[in-house]
Amino acid sequence: MVEPRFDELIHPSTRLSIVALLASTDWAEFSFVRDRLAMSDSALSKQFAALEEPGYITVERHVSQHRRRVRVSLTEVGRRAFEGHVAALQAVISSTASRTS
Amino acid sequence: MLPKISETEARLAMSSIERRRQQVVAEINVPPWYWFVLAGGWVGLGVLADYGPVWATTAGTLLFGAAHATIAPRVLSGRRGSPRLSVRGDLVSRRIPLVVIGFLMIMIMATIGAALLFNADGARHPATLAGVVIAAIVVCGGPSLMGWVRRGAEQHLS
Repeated sequence: MVEPRFDELIHPSTRLSIVALLASTDWAEFSFVRDRLAMSDSALSKQFAALEEPGYITVERHVSQHRRRVRVSLTEVGRRAFEGHVAALQAVISSTASRTS
Repeated sequence: MLPKISETEARLAMSSIERRRQQVVAEINVPPWYWFVLAGGWVGLGVLADYGPVWATTAGTLLFGAAHATIAPRVLSGRRGSPRLSVRGDLVSRRIPLVVIGFLMIMIMATIGAALLFNADGARHPATLAGVVIAAIVVCGGPSLMGWVRRGAEQHLS
């Protein structure tokens, strides 16, 4: 059972989308996240920096087939924060539902 | 203490999370090249059966089986359909390798059946013809099979 914990850092819609996408993967390429979220490289880089700073994600740079690639993954800290945030959202929904019924 | 957000905002956030998860589920696949390599091997073995000596056909079949057994564990999980991400294991059915192997077993039986039919019909190269027909089914049917697997995963999530 995950303890509900609203996370101000994750909650903004763009960051929530990034973390939700990464939560379903072991890792994803920068380009995959950029294309799915229809963001520019610079805007996405800023969001990654905001999530990397508290240790929610790791960003690794490597070379594959003569091309520089950036691979992003959610850390254990990030995954716990995301799960706590989802639990908090579900708690809001269920508390409203129980009040109205 | 609950966060000071409305139920509507919470529901919107949850639907956004669900949409992103579906985008990752849509990537569950085996690499597209897998079906083409398989189809190539199928035709190759058919040609070998028609034109080569028995030992070459046997050796080719064993070699192809060994090569497949080597790459299968890496590609049949369905998690590395795209080189741009690795889908988390808990989103992917563990039955994907069994589904694909089951499909291939049916294709092997269909190849034998088709070759026997072509042979009975007097075809000069029954194994090659059967190999080409089944290879076409593998190339077209493999991706369709994975589409079916993805729909199952999406239904499982929703």
